[in-house]
Amino acid sequence: MHFDPVANMQLLVSGLAIGSIYALVALGFVLIYNAVGVVNFAQGEFVMFPAYIAASFLLPAVTVFGTVVHWQLPVLAVYLLVLVLMVVFGLLFNRIAYYPLRDRGWLPVVISTIGVSIFLRNAAQLTWGSQPLVIPSLFPVDTVAVGPLHIRPQDLLIIAVTAVLIAFQYLLFERTTLGKQMRATAQDRTTARLIGIRVGRIVAITFVYSALLGTISGLLVAPLFTVTKEMGGLIALKAFAASIVGGFGSIPGAIVGGLAIGVIETFGGFYLSSAYVDAIAFVILIAVLLVKPSGLFGERVAEKA
Amino acid sequence: MTAANAAAPNAVAAVESGLLEIRGLMKRFGGVTAVNALDMTVRTGDVHALIGPNGSGKTTTLNVISGLYRADGGSVRFDGAQLAGRPAHEIARRGIARTFQNIRLFGELTVADNVMIGRHVRTRTGFVGALIPGGATAREERETREKARELLAFVGLEHAADAPARSLPYGDQRRVEIARALASEPRLLLLDEPAAGMNPAETDTLVALLRAIRERGTTLLLIEHDMNLVMSVSDTITVLNFGQHIAEGPPDAIARNPDVIAAYLGGTLDAA
Amino acid sequence: MPRKALGIAALIVVLALLPTVIHSDYILTLLDLAGIYAIAVMGLGILLGFAGQMSLAQAAFLGIGAYTSGWLTTHLGWSVWAAMPCAVLLSALVGLAVGYPCLRLSGHYLALATIGFGIITQLVLINWKDVTNGSDGMTGIPPPQFGPWALDTYGRYYYLVLAMVVLSAYVAWRIKTTRAGRALHAIRENEIAARATGIDATRYKIVAFVLAGAYAGLAGSLLAHDIKFISPDSYSFDQSVVFLVMLILGGSSSISGAIIGALLLTMLPEVLRPLKSSYIMVYGAAVIAMIVFMPQGLVGLFAALRARFEHRSPPADAAPAGLIGEAEANPA
Repeated sequence: MHFDPVANMQLLVSGLAIGSIYALVALGFVLIYNAVGVVNFAQGEFVMFPAYIAASFLLPAVTVFGTVVHWQLPVLAVYLLVLVLMVVFGLLFNRIAYYPLRDRGWLPVVISTIGVSIFLRNAAQLTWGSQPLVIPSLFPVDTVAVGPLHIRPQDLLIIAVTAVLIAFQYLLFERTTLGKQMRATAQDRTTARLIGIRVGRIVAITFVYSALLGTISGLLVAPLFTVTKEMGGLIALKAFAASIVGGFGSIPGAIVGGLAIGVIETFGGFYLSSAYVDAIAFVILIAVLLVKPSGLFGERVAEKA
Repeated sequence: MTAANAAAPNAVAAVESGLLEIRGLMKRFGGVTAVNALDMTVRTGDVHALIGPNGSGKTTTLNVISGLYRADGGSVRFDGAQLAGRPAHEIARRGIARTFQNIRLFGELTVADNVMIGRHVRTRTGFVGALIPGGATAREERETREKARELLAFVGLEHAADAPARSLPYGDQRRVEIARALASEPRLLLLDEPAAGMNPAETDTLVALLRAIRERGTTLLLIEHDMNLVMSVSDTITVLNFGQHIAEGPPDAIARNPDVIAAYLGGTLDAA
Repeated sequence: MPRKALGIAALIVVLALLPTVIHSDYILTLLDLAGIYAIAVMGLGILLGFAGQMSLAQAAFLGIGAYTSGWLTTHLGWSVWAAMPCAVLLSALVGLAVGYPCLRLSGHYLALATIGFGIITQLVLINWKDVTNGSDGMTGIPPPQFGPWALDTYGRYYYLVLAMVVLSAYVAWRIKTTRAGRALHAIRENEIAARATGIDATRYKIVAFVLAGAYAGLAGSLLAHDIKFISPDSYSFDQSVVFLVMLILGGSSSISGAIIGALLLTMLPEVLRPLKSSYIMVYGAAVIAMIVFMPQGLVGLFAALRARFEHRSPPADAAPAGLIGEAEANPA
């Protein structure tokens, strides 16, 4: 085994790219968790579903419900359409899977989000079949040469978009009234309600925002993987692991945790074992839970008894 | 430090033996010192009240005694044995039971089950024993049920035995908690604001109940804001303010103590 | 209680006579499968229903039992009767190993950690080819031999499954109705109060993990010798979710509920045959509907209906929650 600096740099870039995806999905988890105190087990489907919709309109021919359709639209129109659809999706999700159960504790909500996840995965299979779809990259070339490195432009795009989104979220939370209301709701819903914040609306917005984060991750990651009904599940689980490693409930924790897991996983898959690459995130998770249960940035992980 | 506090260690040493002896107890939360070098002795057979304004560290003290919080310093001796640092379940096994300010019942379970669970430390059947029908298991099960019924009768709730605990009115829930605590046959019973939220009639019943518990030989350490109740049932009162012991003595002495009056007038005057 | 005991005895007799009436291998296969799943679900019931600890890895434990039993009988030529206890034991030991670190966690974190464990297990089953034969699975697993009879028909196997279901239900029922079971329920309801009442919550939670593992190990072993072929797909996260749904449909801390839930949801796909391809989708929707409209599961629903018929106030009004409805404090 040799440690080639060029290979390592390339691994680092792809690790940061996949880590950015984990970070975005982890942010979606954390925002919903902070707002309503439950973990959304359908977060992966927030990634998968928009990727399928996008594929239907990006590819020249797609089989939908057994019939071949030719819906191809310009790329920007597709992205816009998907984002709009996912806003509606986020609102529906809040209304059906969360709202009726909001006063019944965390377990019913967790189970209903699992129900949504089963529903969407199989709805996707029913709609698009079990054949994976391949979305072409926005870029005409697979890799570009940056000095001695061969870097995938898609990786750079992912990292750049994630950086912009993080900056956007920072401004949203620090500078806008809406962001401040979201933070207040996350900290203490009762008090937020008392000072006149319409908590129900803020929660709905949080679900929508979280669905959009998932959508953007799905659109970004789809050209690297194939679009399948399973594509979101593993990403979401690793993102959840990342958010715990970072310290659950902590936004910087979700970002750092996501990036760390992406990088470690990429290096681990290359140098240690490609067969067990999907186990790496969970091994890190269990190790962190044993050594520092509060995560890198968090206060505590065990929910207060 | 007040004179009363400085004198306390010597005064305590003169007392023959306390059931519970707290020395130099410290408990901090971040930068806040909730309990500061507390000394206190609860004598066997006494009804001992712990009073003080809100936030004076009373509940924290109870939580440290019962092992739910870990002390940052000092010692808690129960019947001579060191308790500080031991887990809650072991402290319960040694004979300290408690109730909670914000009632903590096993809400979905029946009232009878709640009290039967209180027998946990006085019974033995485990997972293996459970599988053998009849014999010791059946006998123990019968005794547990019988004991629970006696205790429910004692607190006046035998009619509610099969109701889910959380369906009971507030005052009754407090009595279920007391019955559950008594089920472990504790030598020391810690009560955290047993009269909170009770109407005057319920409080009268409670006073009678506390006296009856004392008659059974159980030592009581209680936190209470209802001063009429405290004055009428206590043998000894300890007053805390800002986590520190400011006075200790029999009810009439405490009522006249200038430090106590100052603390209450300076703080929240929530004594009824 | 004797009336209830008599009823259960009569039910067992009726169940034992079923193969004399039902000659369809197809239905007997389903009954065998339902019984096996019922055992796994009862195990989950001890962990989640009794002790309130969420696990989404029950199928992984089933897999550990199935592969242990399969490997011991095919590679080492052991008798099924020797392999089965080993499967139970190994699953239980893994339950101990998983339960211990997981004790620091509760709620969502526990759910996630168990999912992670399930994924690791499945990766091991796929990649440890020397033992598991990878994705191709393990074939030629022998049926058990009972005296002169090989339990190689679904009708004969049915008796073994029935006996194991009865045994498992008995164990769960004895635990539930004695001191240990009350301690587990106390932990579920209020862990702080349980500790202050003298219950060593840590120890009890570990034992609940071990028992859930043991039940799954038994179910896995029974499954391996029933269908005689095992592959990693059968022990996926989705299957763990199915077990969870079976439990919650039935009524999470109820033993009969666990059995009814397993039976219904094993039969349901067959009833919904016309929907075949969209069945699992309907299933997902049903989960949401169930949680929203039937928080106490079927057993809770029956109790409420019976109470209404007997002109008592329905308990559902007095205590609407059950485990699933309990408004645990949100940790936010």
